Parts: sequence; structure tokens; C-alpha cells
Amino acid sequence: MEEALAVSVILPDADTLRSLGSQELMKLEGEIARTHMGGVPWLAVAWGLGNFVVWLSLWPLVLGGYVPLWIAFPIATINLMLCYLPSHEAQHDIIARPGDMLRWLNQLVGHVSTIPLVMPYQLLRLTHLEHHKHTNDAELDPDIHTKAADAWTFLFNSIVNRQPGGASNVNYGNTLQRIGTQDAKAAMALGLAYQLAYLAILFAVSWSGYAIEAALLWWLPRHIAITYIGFFLSWAPHFPGIETGRYRDTRGFRSQLGNIGSMGMQYHIVHHLHPRIPLTRTPRAYWDLRPVLEARGCDLENL
Amino acid sequence: MQVFLEKLVYFLPLLFGIGFVAPLTAEIVRAWSLPLPTGFAPLAAGLLLGVVWGGIATWKRRWL
Repeated sequence: MEEALAVSVILPDADTLRSLGSQELMKLEGEIARTHMGGVPWLAVAWGLGNFVVWLSLWPLVLGGYVPLWIAFPIATINLMLCYLPSHEAQHDIIARPGDMLRWLNQLVGHVSTIPLVMPYQLLRLTHLEHHKHTNDAELDPDIHTKAADAWTFLFNSIVNRQPGGASNVNYGNTLQRIGTQDAKAAMALGLAYQLAYLAILFAVSWSGYAIEAALLWWLPRHIAITYIGFFLSWAPHFPGIETGRYRDTRGFRSQLGNIGSMGMQYHIVHHLHPRIPLTRTPRAYWDLRPVLEARGCDLENL
Repeated sequence: MQVFLEKLVYFLPLLFGIGFVAPLTAEIVRAWSLPLPTGFAPLAAGLLLGVVWGGIATWKRRWL
């Protein structure tokens, strides 16, 4: 942390940095970014596993009559909204890299945290890495369906895309087909298995007399969460979604909900440039890197 | 197996209508004491809505 601060203090302003060559600028950027990498992000581990346990515990607590549904519903909604990011850390091997002693923990968080979202880790990992490779590419970015002219259009599209013939399933399916490996085929099969298992559980619970509970603990929170996650992780940081390239496909922006309310996505540009920086360290990394990003012509809006 | 799964996925909206929309509607009718035509049970109303809405969603490939 102190090292990063020292770098930021000695860093010249963007105008001076512009006079440096591209290689030199890249080297400087890498040096600053590396000061924010490393270590196990224990908060992400506790967040991913704890969030799942809280959501799971709501079921016996509500069905047993210990917690009223009107209290459980907002908790479940927050749980579902918080599901994705710990898995996202695991998708980028931030918790532990292959071969590390804690690799099992990386995989455990990756698999467990997104179960309530009904999205398997393997599927999310493969498609997300393709998103990084092809951000904003109209043909190859699996998240391109979140592109929209404004927030209301995003909201409308988000509902349309989730219909049975909607773009979200089609894009992810096409991406996995294009990857074409055994892992991609397995991920597609697992995605279908997750969907069928989710529906089987939803139907069984509903026909057992707990349909309203199933709707407010899982079905509706999941839809709210998918909208929220799509908005802050995909639409907002890649808006307007028309440019490709390392320094132009993602932007810095100031959210009306603040850093916590937007789940740290104001600084998502740092994640796209250096995906191995843990989420909780991206704000600091952003401020240290800002003159370099400015020199590179990044869209930093009012952040 | 693949043909079976493709058929299953195609008819998922109808199954969703029967498996989820129907019992959910029935519970909402009971919970809010919504008026139904005489002799019409809440579950029958739920099944009617679930089958019709789920059937249309299967045909049109959209719920809304």
C-alpha cells in the first residue's frame, strides 16, 4: 500500500506522461498495477461463502415460521445481488492461482457463490474470459446484448433478453460453441442441468404450498439481481459500448449509488486493464494509475 | 437424448406455467381473498392462467 502511494506521489501529470513512449508508459502502468496485486482477498472469500450460507438459511427460517417473509425478501434480494462478484474474483484466479496451496478455495468460492443465480462457475468463467478478450465486439463479446443507449433502454432490453428466445442465453450458447473445447461443451451441459434443477426445485416447493415463499426468496430476487448485476458490471462500465481496444472499451464513471452501491464498478476500467487486481483494491489502483489512464486517452468521465 | 432435451427446453415455458405460475396464482388468490366465479377453485384458476400464459410463451417465445 505504501509502495503504491509512493508511486502516485512521484508520478508526473498526464501531459508529461504523454511525451513518454508507449512501451515506457506500459512499463510504468505495469509497475503501478503490480503493487496492488498479490495476497489472498479474504473479504471476497468470506463474502462468497457467507452470502451463500445466509441465503440458504433463509429457507428453513422462513418455511419454519421463524422469520417473516417481508423481512426475508429484501435480505434474499441483497444476497442474490452480492452473488456474482466473489465468483468473479475466482474466475480471474485472484483468490489462488493454479498450483497454489489454496487453489481449492478459489474453486470453492467460484462454484458456491453463484449457485443462487443458477449460473455454473465453468460457464461464467469461460464466457467472462471471452468478454475480456472481445469487449464491445458486436460479434464476439458474449455480453454485447447489455449494450444500450441509456439506462431505461438497458432495463427494457434486460427484460426482453431474458425471454425464452432472448439474446442472453443465445449469446452465451454461441460463445461456448465457438470455443468448442470439451470444457465448453461440459459447461453448456452443466448450464442446462442447473436450469432444470432450479425449475425442479421451484416447482416442487411451489406445489408443496410454498409458492409465494419460492417467488420471494429465489425467483424475484434472482431477476432483480440479474438486472442490477447487468447494469453495474456490464452496461455502465462499457457504455456506450461502441469502441474496442485496451484503453477505450471500458470507462471510469461516478455512480449515484456510490462505490459500494455500484459494487466497486466505478473503477471497472482498472479490472479490464489488470484483471488480477482484487476488487477491493481497484479504487486505490485507479487513483494511482489515473495519470497514466488520462495520458492513454481513457474515458474517465467525472471520476 | 439430445432430441428429448431440445423438446424439453422448447416446452419449458409451458412447464413453468404449470409448475410455478399455477400454484403461485392459487396462493395469491387465497392470500388476498380475490373473488373468483362461483365454483371456481383457486388452483383451477392458477392452472388456467399457467397453461394459457405458459402455452402462449412457448408459442411466441416470450412471456411479455
